[in-house]
Amino acid sequence: MLGKSIDGKILSGIVMFVAIMILIGWVAINEEARMQSFVVQHTGRSIERGAELFASLCAECHGEEGFGQGDRAPGLNNPHLFGYDPVGEFTAAITNASRALVRFNDEMEALLSELTDSENPPSEERQSEIFARIDELEVMIEEQDAIVAESVAARAETLNQLSAAVENGLFPQWENVTDIEATTAINEVEVFFNTNGTRLAQVGWAGDLHGYIVTTLIHGRPGSDNVWLNSEGMIAWSQTAGGPLRHDQIEDLAAYILNWDKGSAWTSEDFMAVQQYGKPWSDGSLPSEPPPPPVGDNPLRILETLQAEAIEGSAVSGESLYDAKFGCTDCHRNGASAPDTVGTWTRVLTERLSEPQFAGYSAEQYVVESIVNPGAYVVDGYNSGLMPADFGTRMTSQQLADIIAFLKTQE
Amino acid sequence: MSILPFPSFLDDVKEKGFKKAVFEGIDDSVERLTAGMNIQDVREALRGETASRRPNPRLTPHADGFWLHMRPSYFNRDVTGMYPSFRLGWLSSYFVFFETITGILLMLWYTPSPEIAYGDMLTILSNVPLGQLMRDMHRLGAEFMVAVVAMHMMRTWITGSYKKPRQFTWFTGLLLLVITGFLSFSGYLLPWDQLSLWAVTIGASMAEATPVVGDQVNLLLRGAPELGANGLLRFYLLHVLALPALLFVFFGVHYYKVVIYGHSLPPQKENIGEDSAKRVPLDKRVYFIPDMLTSEMMWLGVTTFVITVLCIWFYHAPLENHADPQVTPLGTTAPWYFLWIQGALKLGDKFIWGVAFPTVALGGLALLPYLDVTPSRRFAHRRFMLTIAALLVSLTTVLSYMGLAKFAVKTSAETEIVHELTFEPAHSKVGVGRTIPFSQMIVGAYTTAQFHGPEGMSATDVIAEFNAETSENRQFAQLIDELKLQKLSANQLPLRFRTIPVEEAPVLMRVMEEFAHHLDEAPEELPNVWGSLVITDNQRGLKRLDWVVSWDSVVIEGGDVQLDEDGNPLFVYETELVAAVDSDGEPVLDEFGEAVFEEVTVLDEDGNPKPLRRIFSDHLFIHEASAYFD
Repeated sequence: MLGKSIDGKILSGIVMFVAIMILIGWVAINEEARMQSFVVQHTGRSIERGAELFASLCAECHGEEGFGQGDRAPGLNNPHLFGYDPVGEFTAAITNASRALVRFNDEMEALLSELTDSENPPSEERQSEIFARIDELEVMIEEQDAIVAESVAARAETLNQLSAAVENGLFPQWENVTDIEATTAINEVEVFFNTNGTRLAQVGWAGDLHGYIVTTLIHGRPGSDNVWLNSEGMIAWSQTAGGPLRHDQIEDLAAYILNWDKGSAWTSEDFMAVQQYGKPWSDGSLPSEPPPPPVGDNPLRILETLQAEAIEGSAVSGESLYDAKFGCTDCHRNGASAPDTVGTWTRVLTERLSEPQFAGYSAEQYVVESIVNPGAYVVDGYNSGLMPADFGTRMTSQQLADIIAFLKTQE
Repeated sequence: MSILPFPSFLDDVKEKGFKKAVFEGIDDSVERLTAGMNIQDVREALRGETASRRPNPRLTPHADGFWLHMRPSYFNRDVTGMYPSFRLGWLSSYFVFFETITGILLMLWYTPSPEIAYGDMLTILSNVPLGQLMRDMHRLGAEFMVAVVAMHMMRTWITGSYKKPRQFTWFTGLLLLVITGFLSFSGYLLPWDQLSLWAVTIGASMAEATPVVGDQVNLLLRGAPELGANGLLRFYLLHVLALPALLFVFFGVHYYKVVIYGHSLPPQKENIGEDSAKRVPLDKRVYFIPDMLTSEMMWLGVTTFVITVLCIWFYHAPLENHADPQVTPLGTTAPWYFLWIQGALKLGDKFIWGVAFPTVALGGLALLPYLDVTPSRRFAHRRFMLTIAALLVSLTTVLSYMGLAKFAVKTSAETEIVHELTFEPAHSKVGVGRTIPFSQMIVGAYTTAQFHGPEGMSATDVIAEFNAETSENRQFAQLIDELKLQKLSANQLPLRFRTIPVEEAPVLMRVMEEFAHHLDEAPEELPNVWGSLVITDNQRGLKRLDWVVSWDSVVIEGGDVQLDEDGNPLFVYETELVAAVDSDGEPVLDEFGEAVFEEVTVLDEDGNPKPLRRIFSDHLFIHEASAYFD
């Protein structure tokens, strides 16, 4: 046996060491590929974890499929966020054709002046050359003109298709899509897209999209509850800024959001699917209109105002205010700590108003009083003092009207 | 005469000629480096010839050199074979150096901070050539080392080698075993993944049970009430500094004792009560140089080769998700070599089983040579001690088995089953639900009810019938409500169940069969159960899998299903609040004149009480590139 004699042991030992070197060398050559596939696999798992986080933390406001929700949170599954230019190819074609036209026209002009030069008339031979070239140029100019016209039309068509998206907040500076297209200065579209065509350009972000998403996740958007009427605002999500998530989780979320990117394959349907676009940041000046004043805490005066200004409530937006912005459902559910939301209106009509102290009250008056002055009456079996008494200073008339409209649906 | 003011190499050249002078210079250097052997001596040794010089130059490195003074200059032929040592002591030392080298390489890429550590692991795997191999080797080496050191101890016990004069050698060996355990344990935390955080949390919490100082010990160890930045730093310093330092000290003592007392002979080779290890007859001597040295070099090659092969093809160090103190994974266990303590803890009091029992066990081991003072090392004379050894091994095995997660207190059946199908990669295993190939995750809602149709009925008919049934009894509506609650987009909600496309998705079929099989195994806790898997598209290359269990609720107390006299489970029935009426059909009013409501069990058309239908779901996302299915 090899391991018995000294020669055998030395031989076996050398064979083993050489074998180890060969094995490690073999692993080393394959390392590049292995490391690459590890990165791919790890990105996949990061996206999975991000999806999990998104479903549990973000979907509530940004929508399950990331399309956003009206006046609550912007869509992230959104070509505008990813910098897709829907009219980019047309704009490029127009620019190219315009440049060619300038070149052709210059040449044509030069040829004509050569032809009409009386001091130094061209030879017969040269003349026929020039005429041939002019014929050629005329055809080419016609071609380029056609391209411009075609592209402008196609671009207008595409922009028209986006008008529904414009209504959802895409390009808020764009008063009227067709107007700008109709102007003679076709470059205006290009200029407009350079400053507004992507979310990053719109907010003047110099870094990349990943950095924009990560920084937004880390710090949130302090004060965005003033921008988004139906939301409490984006909180700081990172532990760095006092939020709940670790940085690797922030990166997972960013990986998930970035995975919505379709590159050049976005379509106008994708623009249409977005429920809400990001709002442009203010330029620092105050809003043109001051925010509407709060309703105050006098139920009768509030009702007068609602009537005088003919404010109509919307049950849909009321529900969102009730659930999210003001968080009423946190307590008003199941009837455990506060009366259940379900059946409110019926109970008000049948039970509350029949009580002697509410003689002469309308249902609206009872509800308004309960909201702005919750201590005035507490339903039997529930504790007083639980409901915040400051809703009168936090709600606008419109919001109150919306909530009443929503409560009317709770029969 | 030299050009230098002292005799130099140039003088030699002048005197003897260049060639001879160079040769003698080299020969001289070799003799100094080997502490006594010149080139001729080395040649003779490696050729297996006897030494031509007297005194024997092969003994001088042991007498004069540092490294070999810790090794005996010759062995008894009876201890150089596989038996009695099984090379376990040598292997233990091998792993000490192996772990040191691989560990130092890993240290280059590691920062002990909770924010960075896990990212460093990913860097080692994704951006360091041979990083994965180094990590696998270090981890596998650590597992081997614990096992080898423990086996080394058992071998010493079985051959009675701890007896006089080697009592203290045994004691230092035991210390080395404990240090090895703690080294391995402290290294466990460093990757800062879920596996490490929770295994170490469990391990460290045992210290808490120590009376009086328990809290303080725990605080000292973790650096804070919960494992965090301080705890990680402390474990790191223990792992790379304190414990290795201790290890090398006792390693030296242990080896020195071996030189002093020699290797104990196989018990039957010497007379009872005699220790003849140091009196080796001339014809039995095997010299370290060259026999043992070449032997050890060969084994060095063989062992490293085996580990390399294992780490390339058969073993990869686990790395789970980032540590998260908020999320306790189901089925967390301590590292395998501490499972016996975890098992013992399930027997009762934390202090008795978690602290007193291991202390008594280790204390008993330490005192073993002083308690067992019988002179004979022969197996036939040591039946009692060998029985104790066998019992110790059996006890440790049984306790370790009890320490496994499957021996743990069960959570509810539906949670267990869904977890079993979906758990993330852990301990080199992964929930079978994650192994469905991406191309086989065909969008749709599938149900385990497909496997429970009447004999001979086609799958399509079974599903059609089940669709009708669940739509009528509103169980499908309940499923939809649950999915909505879990934030499945309204556009993606399934309209009905569909048959499993077995042709296109055989693995999906297998997983659904396994799902059904698991559900069938809990007939008491989950009566009239069906499970569903709802697959939806989420993003490009990303699918969402919702696992749903729907069943009739039963009464469960203390984790056990309550049964009636006939052995059938007691159901929980659906109730509703209705206005109470008296015998005349008039509404009952309370003292304030308000209607009185009472809780009434809901009856079905046949007048039977309707069991409360419960639903449970969990979802996971699978990305195309995650490759759980490789």
